[in-house]
This record gives sequence, C-alpha cells and structure tokens, in this order.
Amino acid sequence: MPFLPTPFAAEASLWAIILFPLAGAAVNGLAGRRLGRGNVTLVALGAMVGSFAIAAVAFGWAAAGRVLHFQGDPWISVTGADGRTLVDAAWGLVVDRLSGTMILVVTGVGTLIHVYSTSYMSHEDDAGYARFFTYLNLFVAAMLVLVLGDSLILTFVGWEGVGLCSYLLIGFWFTDPQKAYAGRKAFVVNRIGDFGFLVGLFSLLAIFGTARYADLSALARTVSPGAIVAGGVFAGWTYQAAITFALLCLFVGATGKSAQIPLYIWLPDAMAGPTPVSALIHAATMVTAGVYLVARNSMLFALAPAAMATVTLVGAATALLAAAIAFVQNDIKKVLAYSTVSQLGFMFIGVGAGVFSAGVLHLVTHAFFKACLFLGAGSVMHGMGDETDIRKMGGLWRRMPATAATFLVATLAITGFVPLSGFFSKDAILAGALHSANPAWPEVGPIAYALGSLAALGTAFYMSRLFFLTFVGAPRTHAAEHAHESSRLMTVPLAVLAALAVVGAVLGLPGDGAWSELFGRFTEPVFAPALEALRRSGHLPAEQVESALPFLFAWVLAAAGTGIAWLLYAGPGRAAPARLARALPRTYQLVLDKFRIDELYEAVIVGPLRTLARVLWRVVDVFAIDGLLVNGAARAAGFAGTIARLPQNGDVQRYAAVMTVAAAVILWTVLGVGGQ
Amino acid sequence: MNLLGVVTFLPLAGALLAALLPRGEARQHRALALAVTLATFLLSLLLWFGFDAGPAAPEFQFEARHPWMPGLGIGYHVGLDGVALLLVMLTTVLTPVVVLSTWRAVQDRVKEFMIALLVLETAMIGTFAALDLVLFYVFWELILIPMYLLIGIWGSQNRLYATVKFFVYTFAASVLMLVAILFVYFHDGATFDYVDARAALQVTPDQARWLFLAFGLAFAVKVPMFPLHTWLPDAHTEAPTAGSVILAGVLLKMGTFGFFRYALPLFPAAALEFRPAIAVLATIGILYGALMSFVQTDMKRLVAYSSVSHLGFVMLGLAALSAEGLTGSVYQMLNHGISTGALFLLVGMLYERRHTRAVAEYGGLAKQVPLLATAFVVVTLSSIGLPGTNGFVGEFLILSGTFLSRLAHSTVFATLAALGVVLGAVYMLTLVEKVFYGALHKAENRHLPDLSLREGLVLAPMIALIVVMGLLPAPFLAPARPAVNRLVARFQQAEARVGAPTAVGTVEAAVAARPALPTGRSF
Repeated sequence: MPFLPTPFAAEASLWAIILFPLAGAAVNGLAGRRLGRGNVTLVALGAMVGSFAIAAVAFGWAAAGRVLHFQGDPWISVTGADGRTLVDAAWGLVVDRLSGTMILVVTGVGTLIHVYSTSYMSHEDDAGYARFFTYLNLFVAAMLVLVLGDSLILTFVGWEGVGLCSYLLIGFWFTDPQKAYAGRKAFVVNRIGDFGFLVGLFSLLAIFGTARYADLSALARTVSPGAIVAGGVFAGWTYQAAITFALLCLFVGATGKSAQIPLYIWLPDAMAGPTPVSALIHAATMVTAGVYLVARNSMLFALAPAAMATVTLVGAATALLAAAIAFVQNDIKKVLAYSTVSQLGFMFIGVGAGVFSAGVLHLVTHAFFKACLFLGAGSVMHGMGDETDIRKMGGLWRRMPATAATFLVATLAITGFVPLSGFFSKDAILAGALHSANPAWPEVGPIAYALGSLAALGTAFYMSRLFFLTFVGAPRTHAAEHAHESSRLMTVPLAVLAALAVVGAVLGLPGDGAWSELFGRFTEPVFAPALEALRRSGHLPAEQVESALPFLFAWVLAAAGTGIAWLLYAGPGRAAPARLARALPRTYQLVLDKFRIDELYEAVIVGPLRTLARVLWRVVDVFAIDGLLVNGAARAAGFAGTIARLPQNGDVQRYAAVMTVAAAVILWTVLGVGGQ
Repeated sequence: MNLLGVVTFLPLAGALLAALLPRGEARQHRALALAVTLATFLLSLLLWFGFDAGPAAPEFQFEARHPWMPGLGIGYHVGLDGVALLLVMLTTVLTPVVVLSTWRAVQDRVKEFMIALLVLETAMIGTFAALDLVLFYVFWELILIPMYLLIGIWGSQNRLYATVKFFVYTFAASVLMLVAILFVYFHDGATFDYVDARAALQVTPDQARWLFLAFGLAFAVKVPMFPLHTWLPDAHTEAPTAGSVILAGVLLKMGTFGFFRYALPLFPAAALEFRPAIAVLATIGILYGALMSFVQTDMKRLVAYSSVSHLGFVMLGLAALSAEGLTGSVYQMLNHGISTGALFLLVGMLYERRHTRAVAEYGGLAKQVPLLATAFVVVTLSSIGLPGTNGFVGEFLILSGTFLSRLAHSTVFATLAALGVVLGAVYMLTLVEKVFYGALHKAENRHLPDLSLREGLVLAPMIALIVVMGLLPAPFLAPARPAVNRLVARFQQAEARVGAPTAVGTVEAAVAARPALPTGRSF
C-alpha cells in the first residue's frame, strides 16, 4: 500500500491516536475559558480529525494483514529479589483487526458527535462549552487507551478513565442534584464492576504470570484444561476451573461497564447527561467495552465453557428484561437507554455463544444506528424546547423532515428490516446461538435464541411505538405544533450515521459469495485460535450451517412487532394501550417502575450498609472503644488516684508500717526467685 | 556534619533564629519559616539525587556515626535507606507547603507556631534518619511536644480533650517501646546501635513475641490500626489545618515506617506468627474506616476515617511480605501523605472561607469556586485510586502483591481489601457531591472567593506530584527496591532458621509452575 507510511512509522505513531484528544482536553481544560468558543471548537474538532486520520492509517495496515505493536516503556514494574517480574505494566499498544475496527468506530462516530455537539451545546456559556469539549476529548482518549492497550492493565486504565468521563459528563449540569446523583451512581456501580475486573486480572496473573493479551492467548493454547494446578494461588484447582473463575470475575466488570444484569441500573439514569454524551458514551462506545473485553480474550473464553454459558445467558436475560421495560417508558431517551441495554445483551449472546465476529459486528452497526437515534432524539429535544415526553409529541414528521427520515432509517435498522445493517448483525448472532452446543450446558444456545427472538419481537414493537408516537399522527401539544428542524451541523451527522446504518449491511451479508461474511472473514485472524478450539470441543458446528429459516423467522418477528405497534399507536387500535394499562394496573405500574430493581437494591444492599456503618460507628467507636476502653481507662486512672490518695495522709507511723511490709515482700520475692 | 545532618538540623537552627526575632513581626516569622523549609527542601534534593539505588550500594547511605554516651552504648548514628529517603523527601516537600498554607489561617502567636513547625520538621526527619534506638526514641517522643502544642493552642473548640487523648494514647504505647528497647539493650551485647543490635540480638522465641508486641503496639497506635484508631478523628478534627496535614502526611507514616524498619526486621520469626493477625486487622481497618467515612457529617472527621482505611492498605501490603506488596506499601505511604495532606489543605481552605466543617453547610460551590472545586476533584480521584494518579499505583501494587503473596488466604484478604476501593469511591464522591454540586442554596456561600495565588501555589506541588507519581512511578519505586528485597531476604533467612515452610515472597504463576522442559543436558 503505497499511500501508507511504513509499518514502523505507523507503530511509532500509535500513541498519537491517543495523544491528539488528550492534548485537546489539556488545552481546552487549562485555557478553554480564555480561548473563546471558536478556538475551543477548533482544538476539540482538530484533535478528533487528527486522531481519526492516524487511526485510519493504522486500520489500513491491519487490513493489509499486519499487527501493529508499539512496545511501550515500563510503567508499573516491580521485580523481586529472585528476578521475577509478575506485575509488569507497560505503555504498549496494539492494533490488530479487532482493535483497528474499534478505533475507527470510536474516532469516526466520535468526530461526527463532536460536530453535532458544536451546535447542540451552543446554548452553554463559554466556560461550560469549553468544559464540555474538555470532557468529551478526554473521554475519547480514555476509550482509545481501553481499546488499544496491549494488556489487561492498560485496558483497566482506560476502563476506569472512561468511567470518570462518564461520571463528569452525566453530571455535566451538576447544579441539578438529580443529575449529580446520576453521575455518582454510574461511577459507583461501575466501580463494583471494576472490583470484579481487578480480581479477575489478579487471578489471570496468578495463573499465567502475565496480563498481556498476546502472551495470555499464546499460553492459553498450551494449557490442557483438565490438568491440576501444581502450586500458587490456585493450587489444587483444574486449569479450567481457575480460568473460569478469573473470566467470571472479568465478566462482572463487563456487566458494570456494559450495563448487563445485575449492574445495568446506572445506564437509564445516565440519560441525565447531555444527549450527545448519551449517543457517544452510553450507546456507541463506552458501554460496548465489556463486549470488546470478552472478544479480546476469546482464546481464554474458549477454554471455559461455563463462563461462556454465563455470558450468553446473562446477555439473553438482559436483552429480554430491558426490552420489556422499554415497552412502557414515555421518555424518549429512557426508551433508547433500555434499548441500548437490550442490544448490548444481544452482543453478549453473540460473543458468549462463540460467534465473536457477529457480536462485534453488531457492536459496530449498533454504534451507527443507536448514535443516529440518540442524536435524533437530541434534535427532537432541541426542536421541542428540551421536551422528552413522547406523549407530548406527535406529527413531528412534517416539522422536522430530516430528523424524522434519519430516525426512520435507524429505527428500521434496529428492528431488523431487510436489508438494513441491524438485520444481518442481530440475526447472525441469533442463528449462531441456535447452532451452538456449549459443552457445559448444550441447551444454553437454543435458550438464548428463544429469549433473544422474543427480545427482537419486543425491539420491533417498542422502537416502532417510539417512532409512531413521536413523528406520526397529529401534534398533541403546542410545542409539537411549533417544533423546528435543527441546524445543518446537527442534521448532517444524522444523515451520515443513517447512511452508515444502511451501508453497514454489506459487512454481514450471509451466504458464501464474494461479498458475504465480509466482517467475519476480516476478523478471522483474531478469532481463529478460539474458533478452532470451539469447533474441536463441539461448541461450534464443524461445518458452517447455512439455513435460511432463522433469518426468515426473524424477519417475520420484526414485521409482527412493527405491525402490532402500528395497530396500537398509529392505527385503529389506538385506545387499546390505555385500556390495557387500566385493566392490569399493578402489572403496568410494576413495568413502568422498571420492575423496581433500584428499590430492591436500595432495600437489600445500600440501606443495610448505611445502617451497619451508623451502628458500627455508634457502638464500636463511640461506645466500646472510646466510651468503655479509652475514657474508661481514664476514669479508672482517676479512680485509682482517689484510692491512692487515701494512704497519703501524713501519718508517719502508717508509712513505716507500709514500708516494712513492702520490704518484706521484696525480700521474699528476691530470695524466692534466687532460690529457684 | 554531613549532608543528612544539615538537612536534619537546619529547621532547628531556623527555630533558634526565630526565637531571637521579636514576637510582633509576624511577617518576618512567616518569611523565615518559609525560607528555612524551602532551603531544607532544596538541600534534601541533594540527598535524592545522591542516593544510589543499585543492588551493590550500601544499605544505609549518608551515614554518620559519632559517640554520644559511649559508656551506655548510645551513639549519634544516622543514615538513610530508600524507604527512609522517600519519607524524608515527603517531609521536606510537605513542610514548606504547610508553612505557606498558614499565611492567613494563623494570626495568633505566629512566632511560637512557626517555631513549633520547625522543631517538628527536625524531629520528623530525625525519626526517619536515626539508626540508634535511643536517638530514634528521642526524636519519636520529641514530635509529641510541638504536635501537642499545635493542637492544644491553635486547635478548635474541643481541642483539650483531643490533645490529652492524642498524647496519652501515643505516649502510653511509646513507653512500652522504651521498655522493649531497654530489653533489647541487655540482649545484644549492650548497644543501642540499630545495625549492631539487629546483627547481635539473641532472644528466645517467647521473648521475641513480647518484644514484637511492645514495638508493634507503639507503631500500631501511630498508624493507627483498628481498633487503636479513635484518637485520630478527634486529633484531626480539632487540629489546625497545618497540624492535620503534618499529622496525616508524615506522623502516621512513622507507625508504618516503624514496622518496616524495626518491628519486622528485628523479630522476623515473631512477626511471621502475628502476620495473620496484622492482615486481619488491616483488612478490617480498610473496610471499617471506609464505612465510618460513609456516615460522617464533619469533613475533617470524614477524611480522618479515610486515613484509617488507606493506612489499612499499607499494613496489608506489609503483611503480604511480597516484593509487590511491600513496594506498594511504601508507595502508598507517600500517596497518602500527598492526597490526604492535600485534602486537609482543601478542607482548611473551605474552613477559612466559611468557618465550619459541617458538610451540610456547603452545597453547590462548584459554580462559585470552580478552581477550588477542580482541585478538590483531582485530589479526590487520587484518593480513590484512579489510574493515572499516584493512588492507583500504590493500591494496585498492594492488592496484586497481596493476592499473589504466599500469605495464607491471601486471595480473601486481597478481595475484601478491593471492596474498600469501591467504598472509597462512595464516600469521597458523596462528599464532592454534597459540597460542590447541587444548587447553591445557602446565602453565606454566595460570595466565597475562589483560590488565591498563594493557595494555588500551595496546591500546585501536590497536584503535580499526584500526576507525576501516577504516570512516572519508576523513580519513586526504585529507591524502595533494595530495602524491600533486604527485608524479604531477612524473612527467608528466618524461615530457614526456624525450618518453617515458605510463606514469604510472591507465588509462582501456575503455568510457570509446571516442570520446565529440559532445555539442555541434565546432570
């Protein structure tokens, strides 16, 4: 490829992909208030474009079949007296076809959302505007560290970094206490996941003695799963058990970052952040980090079927639960948030069932259409004066044609209409799950297929409901009647993302022609060792199963969901939803309250912990240690002083008597000791 | 007098000079104290750059040895190993920062205040530099006097209770240490010299157990370890800002340093027996301190309890007795000095503006004082161990070092301790939220000024250290390495002597633990 610099130069400049947005954040963070709005925009956008350009070059080399690896300097490295270095973190980066795809999505979609934000955030004052772009650039830098890091430790750095930016951006309008709380909730729930990540990381260090992906993958290929670990932390376990434990811990981290059961509760509240943030962080990039983590460690997961079964099942259950909650939400961003949780569940079904490339492809197409949907929602909010309740909208089609058209395309993509991108990526996942036979639990694939298909039906329903209520019918409020289309800076990114949502279909066409399975074949080198191991264990079928039936069934489901939504929200059955809600008031309220999972956690974990802390403080610190021991000792000393004062009364005869007795005791003691 | 001696006694000379200056000239006293502490810092840089961290370098450098009371075996013997060097540097960095922070806060008896601070600095450096048990004890107790005065004279309302509690708690435990030092004197060929005593000490296992307990108790109170921690919240809350910063920044490290330098290497066999107990108490301290912070309504009390949690990490790393864990402990000592020191500075700045420590009195300050809020958030991130800040390096090394150590049930300890990281985020972010976010509803908070230039200069070195030590830890890890390896080696020798199974050091990775394939001719 003559238009590319040499691979050596590309490797040396890998850090520039990260340093561009990091420098943008530094400049705008330190001097943004004084730079003026135009310069802030220039710096932030320039950083993104620069990063995208270098990422594209690196991707080009990955596509040409090379793996770019920057051997970084040591960061945290401790060598024992015996010369062994177990903890050895370095600033190493790697671009293969998996991370290359990710950086292209992060910088590409990221650039579009930066462009959109220049208009969306224009109502902020200068300081707020600069602060927003500082955080946004910082987020992109952290996300790139997460994706590009060549070891679990560096990924963890990005992992916590994106968590911080998410916290800062959810609470961007921090004067509203609820938004500040939502930010903290996101950080703390993610920290619970990070706790799992850390324990998993330590476990892998104990098993393999390294945290670098390349070494882990290479060593995993030499391990016989049934062998017993001879020594160390996992002495007596089988390798398979130890690896399964480590991966389940890592997956706890993934459920936090990627909002899966049981840690998904932060994501709906995260909608408190500005809408471009919801699009970039809470839909397109950060929340997919868990999927990336599983895909990145595919070779390890191939050794641990029980861990894969867990991933599949959690993904399937989350996909269905979140879709069910999305049925009844009336806030446009909340519907999209639950939809994101549900779609992430699909991705986990994919990587859990062993069809890694399908899971990652869905990550990519989802980034396109969900970013488009969120930005569309932001455009609607802009046009409606920050209204988010879809019951107060309706008929926006005529007022905001560009937004409506792109929203329609993205809705069709997510519901899985042929031939849009979502159809191929989602149904490759479901078909893969159906044909998989996990050795730990062979039924888990078909179960996930059934749950996932139900969730797909639900997706078609709630997304169509959202579209009909927002854009179709008659305007239901004054604001909806007078809504206005957004500026070009907002509609052009929408159009680009909608186009990508259509074109992305090319990546996942089924069959075995020249244009089919493009993405699967593209990522083949990354997943080949894992796939080979999975085929050997019978987890994946040895031959590619080509059956049109699941695809046909999926299309029928999508059409059915859309049809029902049309009947109930735009067609003749418009009275039915309200009647249904009245007929089943308790069920309706329960679903509307998101199954009251937040309340459950509050009652079972948060509340008791707070009470425990308060009781411990009062009982242990204040009463037992200070009250009884410290002040008790002081009082005892005082009391002893009072007693001791009694004999000190100036009576010489009594002194003499005491002295005599004391001398006798001392003599007896000394002689007694001497006699022994 | 060698360089170390100059660094040690320069502040004391400054204190003598200050004694000559007239009482009314507050500005001169401030300027003098700042100049002396800055000069001490600059001179200590020579120590930093002159220290050889290579494996062949002598254990103690900048050593000086003069007879003091030769008849009694007491000498003036000082020297630095890497750990002591790092703590001396921490002291010399923090003291000028503290002096600068008192510019406005202390208006009353400035002369005495500055003298107390300067004497304190000499005593702290001396404690870390001493290589003679009596000299160490003298410096150790000398610290109590200026500290007692700082809290007792410049403290807030309830200061008398706090000072008495502080003094009695630490003094009672130190007396036990004095008895132990005397006992050591009679069993090591009648010398108080640390290096000689360490080589010559002959005690039965039973005596070693009691001696370890006596030393350990004195240090555990200082750390403070659960359940000996209750003096700390009171002392911190009542102390003036400068006192809190020194207390958290340096004095608590004397406890952990004491374990590292005295209790562990002098009585390794006994230490191995008490190691599970230390690990249990450290882990309890981590979780308990975090839970306590969670329910405090007084900012200083909250930060004080967070110290109990952070120092629990240090003790856990010491109990792990692996290279990673011990190195992490040393690093965490520095981190805690910087991040908790900075937190107390920030709380002090809020206090100077509003004269209250109650969290509920604040709220929504971020719009009013954006720079102060930003600094507070950065320091908070360091305190909760976010990667990229110094806190992460320490916590990561301690947790991984504990997990991978040969301590029994090491994974349980590491996992429980990692929960402390989650709780840390809860209480610190709640504090940030309550103080800086939300609506600015109190009228008194409407006109608070943002950071002044002087306050910016106070915070700048702390924030710079947070970032530099987070991204480039290598220069700060290197000096600790020889000391850590020597300590591990000492324990391995003790194990070999007793014939105990290997319980020190880092485990082998499972994959590496398989029998290696023969690579050449075997005999």
